[in-house]
Amino acid sequence: MALILGFIVLAAIGVAWIVHLDHVVTREFQGRHWSIPARVYAAPLELYVGAQSSANDLEEELRRLHYHPGDPFAGPGVYRRRGGSFDLHARRVRFSDEQREPQLVSISADQNSITRLQSADGAELPVFRLDPPVIGSVFPVHGEDRLVLSPDDVPPLLRSGIKLIEDRRFDEHHGVDAHGIVRALWANLRAGRVVQGGSTLTQQLVKDYFLSDEQSFGRKATEALMALRLEAHFSKEEILVAYLNEVYLGQDGSRAIHGFGLGSEYYFAKPLAELDFSELALLIGLVKGPSYYDPRKHADRARARRNLVVQELEEAHLIDAAAAARAAASPLGLRPPGGSYVPAYLDLVRRHLKRDYAEADLAAAGLAVYTSLDPRAQAAAERALTANLKRLDAAGRVRGAHLEGAVIVAEPNSGDVVAVVGGRDVGTDGFNRALDARRPIGSLVKPAVYLAALETGRYNAATVIEDASIELKLSDGTVWAPQNFEHQIYGRVPMARALAESMNLATVRLGLDIGLPKVAETLRRLGLETPPMLNPSLLLGTVEMTPLEVVQVYTSLANGGYRARLRAVRAVLDEHGRPLKSFKVQIEEAAPPAAVYQLDRMLILVTTRGTGRDAAARLPRGTVVAGKTGTSSDTRDSWFAGFTGSYVSVAWVGYDDNRVTGLTGAIGALPVWADTLARLKSASFEPVPPELVEDRWIGFADGLETSPACSTDAVVVSVPKDTVLPAKPGCGPSSMGTSPSGTMGDKIKEWLKHIVH
Amino acid sequence: MAQTHRSLRAPSLRTLAAALAAAVLLSGCPVPSQRPQPPSTSIPGAQPSEPQPPGPLSPIPPAPPRASPAPRENHLSPATRSLVTQSRTLASRGDLDGASSTLDRALRIEPNNPLLWIELGRLRLAESDARQAEACGRKALSLASGDRATQAQAGRLLSDALRAQRRNQEAIEIERQPFMR
Repeated sequence: MALILGFIVLAAIGVAWIVHLDHVVTREFQGRHWSIPARVYAAPLELYVGAQSSANDLEEELRRLHYHPGDPFAGPGVYRRRGGSFDLHARRVRFSDEQREPQLVSISADQNSITRLQSADGAELPVFRLDPPVIGSVFPVHGEDRLVLSPDDVPPLLRSGIKLIEDRRFDEHHGVDAHGIVRALWANLRAGRVVQGGSTLTQQLVKDYFLSDEQSFGRKATEALMALRLEAHFSKEEILVAYLNEVYLGQDGSRAIHGFGLGSEYYFAKPLAELDFSELALLIGLVKGPSYYDPRKHADRARARRNLVVQELEEAHLIDAAAAARAAASPLGLRPPGGSYVPAYLDLVRRHLKRDYAEADLAAAGLAVYTSLDPRAQAAAERALTANLKRLDAAGRVRGAHLEGAVIVAEPNSGDVVAVVGGRDVGTDGFNRALDARRPIGSLVKPAVYLAALETGRYNAATVIEDASIELKLSDGTVWAPQNFEHQIYGRVPMARALAESMNLATVRLGLDIGLPKVAETLRRLGLETPPMLNPSLLLGTVEMTPLEVVQVYTSLANGGYRARLRAVRAVLDEHGRPLKSFKVQIEEAAPPAAVYQLDRMLILVTTRGTGRDAAARLPRGTVVAGKTGTSSDTRDSWFAGFTGSYVSVAWVGYDDNRVTGLTGAIGALPVWADTLARLKSASFEPVPPELVEDRWIGFADGLETSPACSTDAVVVSVPKDTVLPAKPGCGPSSMGTSPSGTMGDKIKEWLKHIVH
Repeated sequence: MAQTHRSLRAPSLRTLAAALAAAVLLSGCPVPSQRPQPPSTSIPGAQPSEPQPPGPLSPIPPAPPRASPAPRENHLSPATRSLVTQSRTLASRGDLDGASSTLDRALRIEPNNPLLWIELGRLRLAESDARQAEACGRKALSLASGDRATQAQAGRLLSDALRAQRRNQEAIEIERQPFMR
């Protein structure tokens, strides 16, 4: 009786267990939701007639996007180049705002730019985007990364190949394969060790998807039961596709490569559909042991395993003998390791997204994040920083210490951040100086002082101000006696020159006349978020800012007085490609455009006549730029911030432990800044003159109105229309070199000819 | 030395000449007109009707005869023009986000073209974001200096944006500017 009762109880427990497993299997698998980390994309390259991209640039770009030379009519992902003409079979890609189907296009380019764009039917294409490059994923630490395939994405050869190698009776069994178990048992007994596993694909899927890694009989039984329940509820097709998405294929640092979709990208940098037989065979072979057969670490093992798979495929008549021979003879075809990992930029993206998304959603919800990153600008900034730091270290006096640095490049009109370099070790995560190094900005603050002065209407570029010693009693009773950099005193100088040569005494006197609150308020309008201390030393830049904050402030100066909110993320789509959120261009008037224009023209003098004049030698001949050097006390921080017609950028150089560098802004940061922009083929800075101002010639030394014929140091400044300027005796506007009725444009060109050589 | 100087200057002069030639050629090109403009003689104090999404491209009027050449004239390149057309199509279908990101593309190609900022401002009005529309209008106005036709378009955008914020007095001041006549 007790025996029968005990049996009934056991049976009941067994049934309950099966019901429970059944429930787990249906519930979890039904609503199966792969943990898909957010994918992050750089900005796609926009092609149009006139776009600054030579034929070689274009080919380099196509290679970077893993397009291969060949017959473009054979399929997407291939291009053919003849001279400057390209036929391209563009892949199917999703942009933030549309899905593009595969498309044939013809592109012609000369040595400078794109000259023609046509679709396959010969129609002119006004504009065409290349694929947005993937720059990374937001995956959890020790997390799974994958690209999910839909049934249509699975190539037939993968379908039959994986069954052939891993589970020949997949289409017949019901989740557990008795034949397979007996065969494996027999093989293992004969060999005296485990040489074959009897697990079906279904069991492998159950193991990966539902169970832990523990090895026990109980787990094996659970696995088998769950496999049976899974097969009872779901179709073979669903199980196979799930398996192809779940399977583990390799490890990239802390990132686990799951599924054939990501496997294809990780090993070959191509979509699965573009893989050839040998590449597919390599991936199929990897399933057995991704680390043992790791093709990057154990190429011989991987090749042997691949060729075994190829042989089996041939024997099963899935490929013919010729294809098998070709596949077995081909190289592994791995894409080069490393590549474009941009941790500092991804850091900015992550911070931006954290305002709107939970960490868990970023790591698992399969979002697509479209950023403003321009890979070319990023590469230019990385190279400029690493090369210059190396050079400066070699020339430096500090033995054994390594200079650090940071660079940010943005597009001033939209506020798009196009490049972020957070330190000299560009490829690794670490202290992100571009976002987190908060340092005194030195003379980078001066444009705000001069802008505040211009805004009062009491000052213009020609106004003579006093560069003379000054002593101030501070609120704490101490006396502050600022000095010029080399302790000179310049006396009476025009404002344009005081800024160009970064005179401290003149700036302090000017700033005190305008008032510290007014200067602080100007800084705030330009984009500084934390209000600075109203201490007179603010005028010489004791205020501390991160490179990112500096870029925000200078964006307003580069953008005619409009502050464009910095933006790293443009749009976020959900896993189905539906738009979740877009971050629009946001602009706000930060300062009167006419005052900013006058200031910007003075900032051009910095790079032509002042402390930033070394920039010209590093930039393409004739490129007009505006900017400002900055050096904090005892040369602990070396800064340069400025802009061209296309970009605003800031560079910082210093030591992490804040020791003295011996580098001024012009020696340390300026070369980094200029080299970055030189590589970007940046257009000249040529702002549109407002109607309220006009160009006038003044003597750079004395500020008196003159002409180039009259004074060798004549410079053009912009002043409010009809400003009365004291004239140099015997010179003045009537004897100007250009005709008095000359337009502003003529004078600017005349003046540029004069200075840009 | 002087010789070096001249040879270095030459390219910039050639560029200038080319730019002038281009400007002369392009001055005959029609400026793509914007969506139908609201009457500029709107009654002070009257609120504009519900912001409308930008309509389809209106027919391009013939270039008006000009007594003297304007110092500047803004126009759209084929690339930005096609993106503007695409943006308007999307907006007319109610896809304002798509319209906006398409205009973003155009602005990346020609960031200093006031016509694009006017277009963006019109879109912001359609999105009921009058403050951004105002900022776009002001920026367009500052980029359009020397180009009466574009200034007038920017001015109309600006006054619409101000009226949408019930800042009618400021709107009237804009409407009285010489470039609005």
